[in-house]
Parts: sequence; C-alpha cells; structure tokens
Amino acid sequence: MKTRPLQLTLALLKPDVVAHPHILHNVRQMILENGFYFLMSKQHRLSTAQAEQFYAEHRGKFFQNRLVTFMSSGPLWSHILCANDAVAKWRKLMGPTKVLKTVYEEPLTVRGIYGLTDTRNCAHGSDSDETAKREIKFFFPDFDIEKWYEEECIYFQKDLVEFDASLFQHIAVPQCSQCLSDLAL
Amino acid sequence: MASSLHIIGFRVQKLCGHCGVTHKLLLAPVTANSLVPQRNNWRKNYAKREAKKQVIYENVGENAKKTSLIYAWGQASSGALGIASYVKPNLKFRGKQIFINKINRPARVRFFDINQMKPYDIACGYGFTVVAVKYQNKRIVLGTGVNTDSQIGYHETPKGSGRILDQLIEPSHIKLPIQKPDDCRVTSVACGRAHTVIIVENEGVFTLGNNAYGQCGRSIVEGEDYSKNQTINKLAEVPGDIIKVVCGQDHTLFLTQSGEVYSCGLGADGQTGVGHYNNTSKLTRIKGDIDGVKVTSVGSRGDCTLAVSESGDLFGWGNSEYNQLGLVTSETQVNLPRHIPVPHCGKVIKAVAGGSSCALLNDQGQVYVWGFGILGKGPKLEMSSTPSLIPEPIFGRNELSPNTKIVDIESGLTYLAAKNDNGDLYTWGRNNNGVLGLNEEKNQFFPWRVALPAEAVKVACGLDHMVALCKSFT
Repeated sequence: MKTRPLQLTLALLKPDVVAHPHILHNVRQMILENGFYFLMSKQHRLSTAQAEQFYAEHRGKFFQNRLVTFMSSGPLWSHILCANDAVAKWRKLMGPTKVLKTVYEEPLTVRGIYGLTDTRNCAHGSDSDETAKREIKFFFPDFDIEKWYEEECIYFQKDLVEFDASLFQHIAVPQCSQCLSDLAL
Repeated sequence: MASSLHIIGFRVQKLCGHCGVTHKLLLAPVTANSLVPQRNNWRKNYAKREAKKQVIYENVGENAKKTSLIYAWGQASSGALGIASYVKPNLKFRGKQIFINKINRPARVRFFDINQMKPYDIACGYGFTVVAVKYQNKRIVLGTGVNTDSQIGYHETPKGSGRILDQLIEPSHIKLPIQKPDDCRVTSVACGRAHTVIIVENEGVFTLGNNAYGQCGRSIVEGEDYSKNQTINKLAEVPGDIIKVVCGQDHTLFLTQSGEVYSCGLGADGQTGVGHYNNTSKLTRIKGDIDGVKVTSVGSRGDCTLAVSESGDLFGWGNSEYNQLGLVTSETQVNLPRHIPVPHCGKVIKAVAGGSSCALLNDQGQVYVWGFGILGKGPKLEMSSTPSLIPEPIFGRNELSPNTKIVDIESGLTYLAAKNDNGDLYTWGRNNNGVLGLNEEKNQFFPWRVALPAEAVKVACGLDHMVALCKSFT
C-alpha cells in the first residue's frame, strides 16, 4: 500500500494568541483536531532585525512596519506542522489575512474566532512548499527536512506516533526491525 | 396526606447493649414520615417570628442612595469577569457549580458586594479588567484577568514563594507606588491590548504592562520580558493637567484640561497622529488640524482615532482601510489629524472608533455610524464613509417617552454600545462568545437592549468581554 507523501509547513502563533494561555490552548486544539502532526515546537522572541529578515518579501509594502513591530512585541510559538497537503490545509484553517472582514465572511476559522485586527491576526502560515522550507530553516536551523523524510516520515504515514503534551510535539514510536521491514513494503 | 403528619406513638424492639436482652421500648411520639425524633426548636422559631414582626418595611424614599454594582459578561475563562467560581468551581457545591467558559448574559460580580466595595470607575482590555473602588475609607485599584504582560501588576501568592500569577480569576489589589497608598483617587483609567494607564489625582500618571511600542510612555527596551515585572512606571514629564486617558490597541492618548491631545505608542498606521509612522515612546503633542482647537473627547479602540472639539467638530487620524476617514482622504493611513466635515450630524459631542466601524453622538442624542462591519442598520454589510443615522425609536424613544435620548456611546473592536438617559444599555455588532450580553450568540444587526437588572452608569468594552458599572436600590 502506498500512501501520499506528507507535506511540511511552518505555523507561527503570534504574540496576541501567546499572551492568552486559554486561547493558545484552544488554537492548538483546533490544529490537532484537524489532523495535523506537530513535528517541532519552540517558543521564540524575535528582535526587530530578525522579524524584518523574516518578512523580507514584504519590504516596501504599507503594512510591513506594523507587521514587524507586532511580531517583535512579545513571545511567539513556532510549530512545524505535517499533514497531507499541509500548506493549503493550514492556510484554509487559518482563514484570510484581513481579520475584520474574515470575522463576518469565514467566522469558523482561527482568525475568524480569535483574530483582533488585520495586523493582530493570530497566526502565520507558509504560502508554498519553497517558502515553508525557507521558513522552517529560519526558525529551526537544526531540523533537517531531507533526513526527516528518509527516517521518520514512514511512522507519521502509518500513524505510529505518540503525542507528547509537555514538548507539544508528536514523537515517532520505534518499532522492531520486522515491523519496519513490513512497513517499508 | 394529612393523616401521615399526625403524631403517633411507635413501639420498637431493641437489643440492649448492656445486658444483651431484648427490651421493649416506647419511643417518644414521632412523625410518620421520619422515624427519627425531631429536635424541638420552638423557642428559636418563636424568636425568629418575633424578630420578623419588629422589621418595618418601607418604600424607598427620595433620599435613599443607590449602591454601585458591577455586571460582567463575555469570555469567562480568561478570568476577566472577576467571578472565580466560573473558572474554578468550588468542589463543595458539586453539581451546582461547573466550569463556565463564556456567559452570554449579564452576571453580577459578587466579589464587590461580599467585600463591601463601592466601584466608581472601570476599564477593560483584552482579557483583563481594572476597577477603581472605595473600600473602608480607602480608595484602591483592583485588577483581574490575564496578566502575562504584568498589565495588572505584580501578584505573588503566597508571599515570598516565587509563584507569580500569570492569570487572576478574582480581583486583586494593584499596588501603585504613590504617597498615600490608601487614598488612590483615580481620575481616569484605560486599558489597551496589553497595557494599563491609571491617572491618580495629585499623584501623576502610572503605566503598567507591555511597552513594545512605547505605549507605556517610557523608552523601548529591545527584548524586554514584560511578564513577572515588578516595576510600575510613573510618567516623569507630564504636560499640563491630564484629565482623561484613552487607550487604543497599542497606543495611548492623553487629553488635558485645556483641550490638548498627547499620544505615545504604536504609530504604524498613524494612530498616534504625530506626523510620522514610527513608534513614539515619549508623550508627544498632536498638532495637525486640532492645533489650537479645544478637544473635549477622544475615542479609539482599534487603530483609528477620532476626536471631537468643544464646538462640535469631528477630527480623525490613523487607520482608514475600511473608509473610516473616507470623507476626507482615500489613503489607508493618515498620520496627522484631519478635520472631517459632517454638517448633517449637528453638533457632535462624542465619537468612538472600533476596528472598522465608527460611531458618533450629537447633542440631540442621535447616533450616526459609518465604516465597515455590522453598523446597526440591518444585516447587509457595506462599506460607508458617510455617517448615517440609526433611527431613534430603536433606542427607546416612543410616544410614552418622547424625550429619551442617548447620552453615551462606547465601542469594542467589532461591536458598539450605547446608553440612554434611563440607564438602558443597547449593544449591537459581532457577538463572539456572547460579548453583547443578549442571552444568545448570534450577531446582532441592530441595537438591542441588554437585560440589565440595574441602571447602567458606565460601560467598558473589552475585546472579548464587557463590564457595566450600574446603580440600583438594593
């Protein structure tokens, strides 16, 4: 049996969500219920220069200044999410950027429920496979995507994972060599 | 049924504990439905009845004083409502008290009644509430809710344990560094997304919480950790006599007695109105079109700011992505105050701005709305840059009360609230988590009266909860 390859994406929970423990819990619960795996989770505090570097593609746009100052205003959580078609799925769950319109048009998305304004919009998601790779590299320089595909991807495809609530990430459950060889087939 | 209540004699057999022989015992008369003899407390009951006769009931006279009550509704799990049993149900009342995530009708905050506190000022931020109270000849400030940026002070319980609270579920004393800690006369208090500004009479302006944009009026420190912060900042160079403070999401506006407006904080949309889009960490006087004009009211909740002058003119600056300032400009960001001509609205006395919707109140008690979102004119969402009137009968003006008018308006991010001179509170807009208090969670497309069992005096709109200061005879 051949399963579709899993896709990786980067999800950022912005300072407005992280400041509220109960909202942070609810948003992560929403992600879990929608069938995403958390590969890595880490809390960050960006400096203005780092935020500027992260949003280099928006340089020159009218909202770049407020986006950068907001991202450096407090702690944020970064997650590597994994699912079938994760990039599109996470962007769909997140909802459109313009929160003040989203709250009326798509009220059941993360931004529709918890978003405040167009800038304070809860979350960030990579918009394509290439951006995801670049952004994962930015937040998790130690994480080797190719190595993960070679070694651990198979566990996630077969759902042989356990959720570790303290680390807030899924961990592959090691199997005996017999099982592994079965899986490889 | 009556026969079962008759007192009857009852004969039982009982094994004697001393001699081991079964005795026949005649018990005292007992009621049929409970075989255990009842304790006779007729003396107590008699005294109770007599005491009741002594109480004289009287209708409330003209000189009777109303007491202050606080009602709150919306998201409860942040602790911002100040009702501890919602977040941490008491196990003594198992089954009766359950965890309540959100409440969509006004709930009385009994904390203030139990502790005999008289609230006189309130302010709401994102998930937290600040209340100024009179308490046993003292005046103190209390805070409750989310405290991840130290926006309601430093709370360590038990003392010296190093357990610093990130979230409070019941109001707790905010200890301000003032000369007379027991006499903290609050002139004005306001809360932003994660900061609090308190003006204390004869003492100065105090700021707590997140300062990532300079909204606390002190210089920005790169990478500062705002949680578990013990310091409360007192503004050093306060210009003139500040009488009122208004907080947007991440900026702060100060209004002085002479009608000048000062600002600090996030300026990325121009909401500080200082002529550039950078953050300002020092109080800066706003010029532009309001230079030389006596401003009496400032309103801001999101990133757009509106001001009203003494002569009834409307001014605006900041974000205009949803045509809030569409009458004078087509730009999305305005960094200097602009005069907005609204001749058809009469003399404006107050204007408020939410995230995308704006409202103004004129001296006739009429409410005009513009912008984008649920404006209160039906279910059709449309972008409008011209203020349009909400019909007065909706706010309680009818044949029986022809003089009823709106006296105060407030704005949340995506909803609006108005209060009329009878103390009735009307809300409309997006009803996330039951924030409108209308006993349901559907969006409300036109103003609807909140079923408050008391007269509303002041209402504070948070982002996901609302608090009303009410007065009532108890």
